[in-house]
Order: sequence, then structure tokens, then C-alpha cells
Amino acid sequence: MNQPAIMKKSNKSASYYAWVGVFFLSLAILIGALYYSTIKIDYVWRWYRIPQYFAFKEKIDIKSQVTGRISEISYQKGEALIVVKTDGEDKTYAVPEGDIKVSEGEYVNHGYVLAFYEKWKPGILIQGLWLTIEVSIISTLLGILIGLIGGLARLSSNPAFKWASITYIEIIRGSPLLVQIFIWYFVLGTLINTILDKYGISPIPPLWYGVAALACFTGAYVAEIVRAGIQSIHRGQVEASRSLGMTYAQSMRYVILPQALRRILPPLAGQFISLIKDSSLLGIIAIRELSKATREIVTTSLQPFELWFVCALLYLVLTFTLSMFVQYLERRTAV
Amino acid sequence: MIEVQNIYKTFLVPHRVEALVNVSCKVEAGAVVVVIGPSGSGKSTLLRCLNHLETADSGKIIIEGIDTLDPKTNINKLRAEVGMVFQSFNLFPHKSVLENITLAQKVVRKRTKKESLEKAFSLLNKVGIKDKANVYPDQLSGGQQQRVAIARALAMDPKIMLFDEPTSALDPEMIGEVLDVMKNLAREGMTMVVVTHEMGFAKEVADRVIFMDMGAIVEEGTPEHFFTNPENQRTKLFLSQIL
Ligand SMILES: Nc1ncnc2c1ncn2[C@@H]1O[C@H](COP(=O)(O)OP(=O)(O)O)[C@@H](O)[C@H]1O
Ligand SMILES: [Mg+2]
Repeated sequence: MNQPAIMKKSNKSASYYAWVGVFFLSLAILIGALYYSTIKIDYVWRWYRIPQYFAFKEKIDIKSQVTGRISEISYQKGEALIVVKTDGEDKTYAVPEGDIKVSEGEYVNHGYVLAFYEKWKPGILIQGLWLTIEVSIISTLLGILIGLIGGLARLSSNPAFKWASITYIEIIRGSPLLVQIFIWYFVLGTLINTILDKYGISPIPPLWYGVAALACFTGAYVAEIVRAGIQSIHRGQVEASRSLGMTYAQSMRYVILPQALRRILPPLAGQFISLIKDSSLLGIIAIRELSKATREIVTTSLQPFELWFVCALLYLVLTFTLSMFVQYLERRTAV
Repeated sequence: MIEVQNIYKTFLVPHRVEALVNVSCKVEAGAVVVVIGPSGSGKSTLLRCLNHLETADSGKIIIEGIDTLDPKTNINKLRAEVGMVFQSFNLFPHKSVLENITLAQKVVRKRTKKESLEKAFSLLNKVGIKDKANVYPDQLSGGQQQRVAIARALAMDPKIMLFDEPTSALDPEMIGEVLDVMKNLAREGMTMVVVTHEMGFAKEVADRVIFMDMGAIVEEGTPEHFFTNPENQRTKLFLSQIL
């Protein structure tokens, strides 16, 4: 964007910096006040306990699968080779050096722990975060598909398509997402899974009802965005392409939608940022996404303050990344 | 060849307008017909009915022997044979000049990339802007944009070209370059229907002039007839205003 020359010049007065100071001071006071009041109620901040919920080291035992005597332990490049001599074939185990529980000449039974190693595992917060990402991506893609079809149907002159689209959009936009999730899970889910059960098919897990609820919810808003985007393209564009002999579909695909897309990218991004945040509601139907995962740890760890702040921060990272990505797309698609 | 027989077109939204009232006319192959008339007289509507951007309510429109109002007629096929140039150019802003001209060749005429590029370059040459092939429309002047629009329409190898006030949105100094392209086209024998108020163009290349008012054809004749002894009172009044 071109800013007027007046704005570009950084001719900031002393009062400007004073107000910048006021801003940071207020921020500091707010945080200080929060901290002070937590001290007042004897809340003990234990930030050091938080990393384990991101990733933790798991101890994995290496057990002997045979019975015999340790005939040799040799070391090479940080690794140790343990040879167990048996009546039949000898067995060799490669284990990390340093964590060896046995010594040469020792007799080991089947299942005896020879050594162990540690492995990093994703913690419950990361697992929740990953599920949130997964659910958001799938719902976004489905939402785009539904929204595109819904938006085109909304503009159709065929009353069946048009009215179906209007009904869908109005119903979805007129009821709370929470209620829609309940309907998907407790009404449609029960119905579908019971019927599937009758035919001996295994039930669909709750995750998919959650995804369906989010996708349908987002689809309705995307449909309205798509409709507005298409309508914002000048009528002359359709006329020019149709006058060249293009079909409705060709004109949409090559002329109208590419132009509309550029205009709907910003509102679309806002919609998908909402979707990421709304996915936190899925916890109520036992989907262990980020906020449900946080709630679970809070009940066991009793560190609610730290955990809820971390949870909020993780959502912020997701939404911020998405909006950066969309800004990049906008710059790329600009002529 | 175009034959229009007794067509009517009434718009109901936003309010009732009888845009075309019992219009009949004929454009022989290779003829150039100029349509003139005051604003709102139905000139655009007539042109748009010819390639079905509007559908006439009743009457008959026969183009190259095909009854276009017959529901069985493939309108997309018909449109590919009838090129149209708009007052506001309507180039595709997200596509380069070259892509503007090759797009419909590829998706409608199913030409290969090579064929469509060759065609595009020869047409850009013809309209005199081959150095702008890779530029986007918003980097062109109005006159250049309109010439690209003409090239885009010609790329389909149409049998008929319709022009709806092609120079009305142009700065005066650019009108000439667009009219020159159209005159050349007329001399090559293209069948053309041109809505314009450029009477110089009519004088030079038109075979016939049609004067429309209030949705009807009021007077029809050679350019000389219009310049020397127009008969109808409304024609006289209109010509006195634009000449
Ligand atoms: N799509 C439309 N919907 C409603 N009215 C229209 C439409 N197109 C044209 N009209 C009306 O029909 C009349 C003729 O318009 P038009 O053919 O554009 O005239 P001209 O091109 O001669 O200026 C005008 O009164 C105009 O308002
Ligand atoms: Mg007009």
C-alpha cells in the first residue's frame, strides 16, 4: 500500500514517545498485578513442570529374549555389543553405552533386562496440538469444498439448488456451533452408528462427527464469502467469457473464480482462524484436542495458571502462522 | 448472415421497459451495418440478443442459417462464431494480453498451445501491439486494451463481429487507432454490426445505417441517405445533435 508522504515521515514528537511509555507501563502493571494477586492466594508458579507436557523421555528396557551367559561386552562408537551365549545360537544385542545393567559372565534368564535406552516422546500438549491441527486442516479443506458448492448453488437460478443453499446457510448460521456439535454427535452419530452396527460395520469414531460439524459450520460462512466474492466481479467478465463461447463452468473456472479468490482470501483467512479456535469445542465430545488435553493435565497437575496460558499461546501460534501464510498467498496472487 | 424477424424484448426488473419492440432487420454476409440512436433506444439490447447475452422474448433470430431461439441450438457453439467487443473492453485482468487471446482458443476451440500462440501473435501484429504480448491489461492504454479485445474476439475465427460502442470509453486521441483496426476488418469482408456514433466510420465503411429509437427501428438506409436526406423527424433531430 502506498502511504501518503505525510504518514511516511517519522516526525514523532515527544508526546508520542510518552504515550508509548504509557502503553508499556500499563502492560507491566497489569502483569505485575496478576502476579501479585497469585502470590496473595499462595499460588506457586512452577514453569519448570511444563516442558514435560511437550515432550518427555521414556525409558525403554532392552530385554534378553534367550537364556544364557553373557560371554562378551565390547564397545565401539558409543555402542555396546552384548553377546549372550546359549546352548544353541548366540545372540548379540546392540545397546547404548553407559546404561548397561549386566556384566560379563553373568547368567541371564529370558526377559532379563540387559540395558535400557531413553527416547523422546511427544507430550500430551503436543499430541493435543497435533490433533487440533489435523482436525482444522481436514475441516478447512471440506469447508472450502462445501462453501464453493454452496456459494455457486446460492447464485444459481435453479430454485432447487438456490433454496437448498439458502436453507443450509440460514440454519447453520442461526444456531450455536456447540448445539450443532451435539446434534452431529448425539443425534446423527447415534443414528448412523446404530445403523452401521446393525449391518455389522464398526462405528465411526467421534472425531469424524466433530470434523463434520466444523466443516459444515465453516462451509456455510465460506459459501457466503464465495457468493459475495463472485458477485463482486464485474458482470462484463462473465459476458466477455460467455461471448467467446465458454460454458458457464469454463467461465467460472478460468475467469471468475481466479479473480474472486483474490478478493475472498482475507475474509476466508478470518473464517479459518475462527475454525482453529472453534475446534476447542470438540473436547465436549471426547476428542482430545489441545484444550481438552490441557484440561486433562490441569486436573492431574494442579498447575492451571501456567497450563492455560501455554494453551492460549499455542492457539496463538497456530492462528498467527495461518495469517502469515495467507498474507504470503495474497502477495503471490496479486498482479 | 443475420436475419432478425419481429423480435420483442421487455425487461421487468427493476421496472418494466420495452427495450425492443417488433424489430426486424437483415445483415448479409460481408456487410457492415452501423446502428445509431439515442441512449436507451435498445441498440445494446439488440446486439446482445444476437449472441444470446439476452434472450429475445419472441420472434426469430437466424444466424448462418441456424435458428438461435430454438431451445435445441447449442448457444456456446453459436457464440464462438459471433465475436463481441464491448464498450468497457472487459479484458481478463488476471491474465496477460497473450493469455487473454489464447484462453478461449484453448478451452473452446480446443487448439494446442502452439496453434493458439501463433494465432495470438499474428492477431496482435494485425492490431498493431505485438510488443505488448506479455503485459497485463491494466498496463495498457484504453485504445490498446480495446485492440486486444478485438484480437481476443477474432482469435475464435468468428463469422460475425458485433461492436457495442467500442470507442465511447476512449480518450479522443485513441479513437482513431481502434477505428482503423475496424475499418481494415470491414475491408477484409468481415460481417459486422457496429453500434457507434462515429459517423466518419459509417460514411467510410458502412453498407447500411440503422437508426433506432424507443426500442424500434425508425429508419434504415445507406450512409449517403442519412447524411443527405433523412426522412424521419426523430432521425433528423438526432443527427443534428451528433454531427
Ligand atoms: N439488463 C437489463 N435489465 C433491465 N433493463 C435493461 C437491461 N438492459 C437494458 N435495459 C433497459 O432497456 C433499455 C434499452 O437499453 P440499451 O439496449 O442498453 O440501450 P442503448 O444501448 O441504446 O443505450 C433501457 O431503458 C435500459 O434501461
Ligand atoms: Mg448501449
